[in-house]
Amino acid sequence: MTRRGFWVLSLWIILIAVMCKVCIVRDVPKSDKKTQTQQESELTVSYPSQKNVTINGVDYLQSQAPVGKFGGTLVSSTIGEGPKTFNPFNCKDNTSAIMSGVMYDGLVSTDPVTGATVPKLAKGFSISPDGKVYTVYLREGIKWSDGKPITAEDVEFTWNKIIFGGMGDTSTRDSLVINGKLPTVRKYGDYVVVFATPEPYAPFLRMLSTPIAPKHIFKPAVDKGAAYFDSFLSTTTKPKDFVVSGAFKLKEYVPAQRVVFERNPDYYEINTKDEKLPYLDKLVYLIVGDLNNEVLKFEARELDVISLQGSKVARYKSLEPHSDFKLYNLGPDTGTMYISFNMNTRKNDKGKYYVNPVKQRWFNDLNFRRAVDYAIDRKNMVLNIANGIGLPLFTPESLNSIYLNKKLKPYDRSLENAKVLLKKSGFYTDKKGRLFDKDGHRVEFDLYTNAGNTEREAIGVMVKQDLEDLGMKVNFKPVEFNSLVNKLVSTFEWDMVIMGLTGSPLEPNGGKNVWLSDGRLHMFNMRTPQEGKAGILPWEEELDLMFTKGALATKFEDRKVYYDKYQEIVYNQKPMIYIYSPIRIVAVRNKFKNIYPSSLGGITHNIEEIYEEGNK
Amino acid sequence: MNLFPYILIILFIKKMEILKYILKRILQTIPLLIIVSLVSFFIIRLSPVDPLAELKLNPSVSPETVQREKARLGLDKPIIIQYGKWAISFVKGDLGVTSTGEKVSTKLGERIPNTLLLTSIVILLTWLVGVPLGIIAAVRWKSPFDRMMTVITSIGMAIPSFFFAVLLLMFAVKTGWFPIGGLTSPNFSEMSFWGKFWDITHHLILPVVVLFTISLAGLQRQMRANMLDVLDSDYVKFARAKGLSENVVIYKHALRNAVNPMITLLGFEFAGLLSGAALTEYVFQYPGLGRLILEAVMKSDINLVMASLMMGAIMLIAGNLIADILLVITDPRIRSKA
Repeated sequence: MTRRGFWVLSLWIILIAVMCKVCIVRDVPKSDKKTQTQQESELTVSYPSQKNVTINGVDYLQSQAPVGKFGGTLVSSTIGEGPKTFNPFNCKDNTSAIMSGVMYDGLVSTDPVTGATVPKLAKGFSISPDGKVYTVYLREGIKWSDGKPITAEDVEFTWNKIIFGGMGDTSTRDSLVINGKLPTVRKYGDYVVVFATPEPYAPFLRMLSTPIAPKHIFKPAVDKGAAYFDSFLSTTTKPKDFVVSGAFKLKEYVPAQRVVFERNPDYYEINTKDEKLPYLDKLVYLIVGDLNNEVLKFEARELDVISLQGSKVARYKSLEPHSDFKLYNLGPDTGTMYISFNMNTRKNDKGKYYVNPVKQRWFNDLNFRRAVDYAIDRKNMVLNIANGIGLPLFTPESLNSIYLNKKLKPYDRSLENAKVLLKKSGFYTDKKGRLFDKDGHRVEFDLYTNAGNTEREAIGVMVKQDLEDLGMKVNFKPVEFNSLVNKLVSTFEWDMVIMGLTGSPLEPNGGKNVWLSDGRLHMFNMRTPQEGKAGILPWEEELDLMFTKGALATKFEDRKVYYDKYQEIVYNQKPMIYIYSPIRIVAVRNKFKNIYPSSLGGITHNIEEIYEEGNK
Repeated sequence: MNLFPYILIILFIKKMEILKYILKRILQTIPLLIIVSLVSFFIIRLSPVDPLAELKLNPSVSPETVQREKARLGLDKPIIIQYGKWAISFVKGDLGVTSTGEKVSTKLGERIPNTLLLTSIVILLTWLVGVPLGIIAAVRWKSPFDRMMTVITSIGMAIPSFFFAVLLLMFAVKTGWFPIGGLTSPNFSEMSFWGKFWDITHHLILPVVVLFTISLAGLQRQMRANMLDVLDSDYVKFARAKGLSENVVIYKHALRNAVNPMITLLGFEFAGLLSGAALTEYVFQYPGLGRLILEAVMKSDINLVMASLMMGAIMLIAGNLIADILLVITDPRIRSKA
């Protein structure tokens, strides 16, 4: 009997083995060549900017891209649990902002290549010489998706009643309070709106890209108060109740599965044959829970566009020649990854130092910080952690920022330089190679990052190894994200940390919370609100000045000077040591044309111009 | 003498006893629910997960906004008051709003039907297939069929569900025969009725296969073991000795006794209706409760997590209660004790 059992068992094993063999087909041809993704396919095609044209009294925006075919569907994806709302003024998460951004256009938008401010719902704008008054001219004759005209009335209502009225997410309003005053918004006639800021405030221009709401739809909701507004145009609102100005309009939302948009037939952009865009009939966002599922869906052709992680790029590169998609290199990402020191020298309310005084002396020693910087092998990290899909970073502005200070040169790892710097400050190593400071304290500190982020954990391990080459003892401690944030912004009990921030490549002023000496995220020398600007360092003072001046100047050239200086200060003083920027690689199916990828705009910045070739 | 009224009275008393028993059980659940809610609430709130952590680390969010969010979520009040507020609205039937301001009841309402669809199909299938297979295996003990079932069920029990699910997903990617997770296709709303029916079936096949394989194994083994126990007992031997036909022995005498433990199991299955498939749901990106609750836990979305935990607790208690009542009905021994 046992022999029969044995036969049954072995039969099963064979059967399963055969099944596995059937399903696992080798799809990557064997190749010995190493792929070099980083260097190739830099953006070569230049994007033809849109123009304003007037036909029969209607001010259209005209696409200059090749004329395409109408129809077709593009399926993209969003990671997570999908949008929380479709109300463009109530978005607290990225997915919701993308979804409502598809439906509601702002007065202006950003040129995907140069980063300049270009007209959208507005046909043009002018700024007064003193930088306080912005005059915006609207397009005449363009309509909401229900046929009502888009006028200055809508713009005035959006700004005065929704944004300044404190409806929904108030972060736009909060950031516009200049010296305790809000800008004023007034309309003149149906197509002119004048914005006046109390002081010259350069970042205001980009804020004009805030979506504009149709007054006839939003007014009843605004009248019912902020609490009602929070649930207005939520995910349970019927798609037909949306009145939009963007290229697409909500067609269907299926919780945890997808968001489907259909083309807005009244959109104000036309092609060179004067046909109304967008080309695509439908734009679908699948809601996928994690990155792995996204990859599977792309490979099963359920998705048309996917943003690839570094580790996947090599495989896709080898698949590309004999498959139906093309890889695009969008250049460096906007995110920055850095190591920061806790330079805090103050005591907490119990009279205890936040940071051990011995360690304080190291972290406040410029030679020490620069030695750490020299010891870190950025190239090695790009190769090993980002799979070569990244570039070393030395500035607080990301590599694709229009304000990047190009004079700050990258340099290689140099242990010799690091050792010379340490020696200058009296650090010495014993026979075993252990590093001590001039008072004989062993150099040992904790390095934190948030557990679960594999990229940062990998960086931590490599930083630890690099610093151990100098004889430092680094205790690398990945901790839970929330408790790390708590350490950084509340208890200030940390030595060194690896973190990342997403900045804007267009507006350095967004980083003021990090760089102003009393900023809420000035983590390397954080002060409690009670402390104000206590114990401010000379270069911190200089940073404060640069950020204040940078926000007040209105011309790009003037601002560039201040922001160049700020980057130079950080580059020299090293309160934060920047590591690398990942490069974004996106795969798109070949059948989609008019793809003009850009570092600032990504792939779908011109979604209305993209068309599907060969659809029926 | 007419005994009939006496019998009626005795029956009535018996029935009252069952009702009393049920009422007692329901009353017993109240302190249980309070304890469950207290423990869960405090564990969530005392865990270091800060719902505002991401907001705090966003350079473009002002401190005033963080403060306002804190007040809106009620995080600025002591934990006891937070619990009290939650408990009062829960008793009133109001589940509150999620951290993003959506109604918890709508959120759950969107997902519950999907999860129920998946789990009820699986439970129906496993019971329809598992119980007969268990009986047959027991009756033909040590036959080739029994051995084959043993091998299959051992494999079924040994494969971790998420691993099996991932394997099947790979299979779907390579062959293109099945969709990669989800419940409906993007053009679902334009399909005919039968098209929709087929679309949903097509999407359900893989998750059902995973859950079915895994729960079938346990159920079949359980049924087989129960049946073997009973077949070995004295009264079955007696029935056989009495000369009853094999069919009567097995299906009338043995089966009725073997099925009792299964009823308890059914109670647990009922509890698993809403929460049992969470892992598989996650792997298959199934739009059920699993994904929703996982995200809620990660973000410490207290109202949503509490609602789902309470739902789980209530389902478990209800499942047990139903099983006990069914047992009282089927098993006269328990009835006399109750």
